[in-house]
Amino acid sequence: MISILTAKFRLFLRNPWMVIVMSIVCIIMATIIGAASEKKVKIPVYSTLSAQETNELLHTLNESHSFRFEQMDAKKVRALVREGKAAAGLELAENDFTLIIASQTANTFFLREYLQKVYGEKGQANAIAKQLHLSTEQTTKIVKEAKKHPAFTIQTMSFRSKNAVIIDPQMQPIFGFSLFFVIYTVAFQVLQLLKEKKEGVWNRMILSRLKKWEIYTGNLFYSFIIGYMQVALIFSVFRFGFGIDFHGRFPELLLLLVPYVFAIVAFSILLVGLVKNEQQFQALISLLSVSMAMIGGAYWPLEIVSSNILLMLSKIVPLTYGMEMLKGAAVYDRSLTELLYPMSILFLMGVVFMGIGINLTERKSS
Amino acid sequence: MLEAVELTKHFKQTKAVDRVNLYLEQGEIVGLLGPNGAGKSTTISMISTLIPPTSGDVRFHNESIIKEPAKLRNVLGIVPQEIALYSDLSAKENLRFFGRIHRLSGAELNKKVDEVLALIGLTDRQNDLVKHFSGGMKRRLNIGAALLHEPKLLIMDEPTVGIDPQSRNYILETVKRLNQEKQMTVLYTSHYMEEVEFLCDRIYIMDKGCIIASGTKDEIKNILSSEHTVEVKVEKVSESFLHALRSQPVIHHITVQERTITVLSPKEINVFRLLFQLAEKTNTVFTSVEIKTPTLEDVFLHLTGRALRD
Ligand SMILES: Nc1ncnc2c1ncn2[C@@H]1O[C@H](COP(=O)(O)OP(=O)(O)O)[C@@H](O)[C@H]1O
Ligand SMILES: [Mg+2]
Repeated sequence: MISILTAKFRLFLRNPWMVIVMSIVCIIMATIIGAASEKKVKIPVYSTLSAQETNELLHTLNESHSFRFEQMDAKKVRALVREGKAAAGLELAENDFTLIIASQTANTFFLREYLQKVYGEKGQANAIAKQLHLSTEQTTKIVKEAKKHPAFTIQTMSFRSKNAVIIDPQMQPIFGFSLFFVIYTVAFQVLQLLKEKKEGVWNRMILSRLKKWEIYTGNLFYSFIIGYMQVALIFSVFRFGFGIDFHGRFPELLLLLVPYVFAIVAFSILLVGLVKNEQQFQALISLLSVSMAMIGGAYWPLEIVSSNILLMLSKIVPLTYGMEMLKGAAVYDRSLTELLYPMSILFLMGVVFMGIGINLTERKSS
Repeated sequence: MLEAVELTKHFKQTKAVDRVNLYLEQGEIVGLLGPNGAGKSTTISMISTLIPPTSGDVRFHNESIIKEPAKLRNVLGIVPQEIALYSDLSAKENLRFFGRIHRLSGAELNKKVDEVLALIGLTDRQNDLVKHFSGGMKRRLNIGAALLHEPKLLIMDEPTVGIDPQSRNYILETVKRLNQEKQMTVLYTSHYMEEVEFLCDRIYIMDKGCIIASGTKDEIKNILSSEHTVEVKVEKVSESFLHALRSQPVIHHITVQERTITVLSPKEINVFRLLFQLAEKTNTVFTSVEIKTPTLEDVFLHLTGRALRD
């Protein structure tokens, strides 16, 4: 089996371009779609504060999920608002802010609420700082700490109920495209098995000292590693290249990709068992990967799908469970044990597909 | 050593191989000759345990190997009809891979790889990728990949298809050497009768799934001992002359190739006189008339009424 893996990796290193191109295309697509679907409202800002104070304040303000604050000069801010290119402009001062608006809208209302809250907390911190003769930063820290360990707790029901829907416009395309593109990569590797059968390398292996299970395991394990490398690479580029921290669940995501890639390898060998030749395989994989991506929620989140038929179909698509796991961890903040269900389904699918696939492949050759 | 008994293979409607009997003795080169689609590859696949027969048996040292293929597989080298190599690996990397799957390693593997490279004449090109090789070089490597574990029995399926005469010659000489120097038993499949005539001690001729003749070269040619093969060259092939030939019951198997007409006729009759009479009647001018020693091609023609090559 080692001999197969060595030969295969040598072949891969001679021609790694397909995997590299796939990864790059995937990263570009996910970035473009992610950026295009960003929902934050842009607010132009100018400031009368010192540069450092302005930066600190902007940093705090930009923790908002609904608004993105961008600093520019006062003239530009006024111009943007006048021309209707911004919902509102903002002037930052020490203890107060000024909103520049062209008309009152829901957004300006929420914006005012938000700013009042931030300035309120800022004023509180300042007041404490004066009394205790501390710096503002220190007090902010103290206040934050204090809030973590309050003197008394009020049991709050989570604002999001258990079944609440969260759509994360940044995670969705990264997960969707990674899971979609890896189908091609894996299928292409598994397809080599069909080629080797046709060209006779397979027969040479059968007649050698290799056991049949070694030949299958070698080929499939190799396909798994290549597929896994691709998704791990894509996730790492987002994590370390673009600084997306996946809500702190990066290591878990890498783990959760294992059952998914395994199921895709198994799915590919099932196809190999079903088709008559390479052309059929190519045609089927293009058709199936795109439909699975649509049904399984790679292109758009399943949360917005209401058709019962589509939702039912999604239950037989491995990609559905892949998305469920990844979003479960990174978006819904579920623990690994809570994700055991989609994980086991993928393993089960993998085992069943592989069993049937290998059986069909074997039967064809006699 | 190896024996096929009433070997039969059906693919749905096609009877690819029909009750074939053949045997190989230790140290022989045996030819399996037949046109495309005769069932040679299918026969070989069954003999080498790659596909199970519909019925019949394959026996190696008198033991059936259908249920227990391991004994044969360990001493078997197979050269498939297709180029069964990794085209993105070099010649040497290919050989190392095919050696390793036969459990060769370390110094022994290195030694065998170098030996095989020398034997197939690819030592100088060992680090080039197979996809950059010529057809002849690929064919040679295809053979080399079957030799690493020093098989006692080598089964070759049309190993010279589509290559230049020089490479072909090299391959034929190599097969002969393997047989003489290493006492390798060889089953050589081809649709080129010259190759089989040159190499083989015994020959099986196959057509439409059946063995239609077998024996040594001379034995097979003796099938034609009662017949003359006459080759007539004419200035112009006329339909009337051909018609006249066809109307003679003693002349049969008429083939026309450009301006050469070949016919078979029983030895008892004076075929020359007959031919000249027909020529005179139809105003045909001969440029030469010749009695040829029969070839395997003629035997095939005699037995099937068709040429070996299309
Ligand atoms: N796997 C298969 N399925 C169906 N028919 C086959 C298969 N393999 C060979 N045949 C048929 O069996 C016949 C013999 O083929 P083959 O053994 O390849 O002949 P040869 O090697 O002498 O050219 C042909 O008619 C071919 O079409
Ligand atoms: Mg053949």
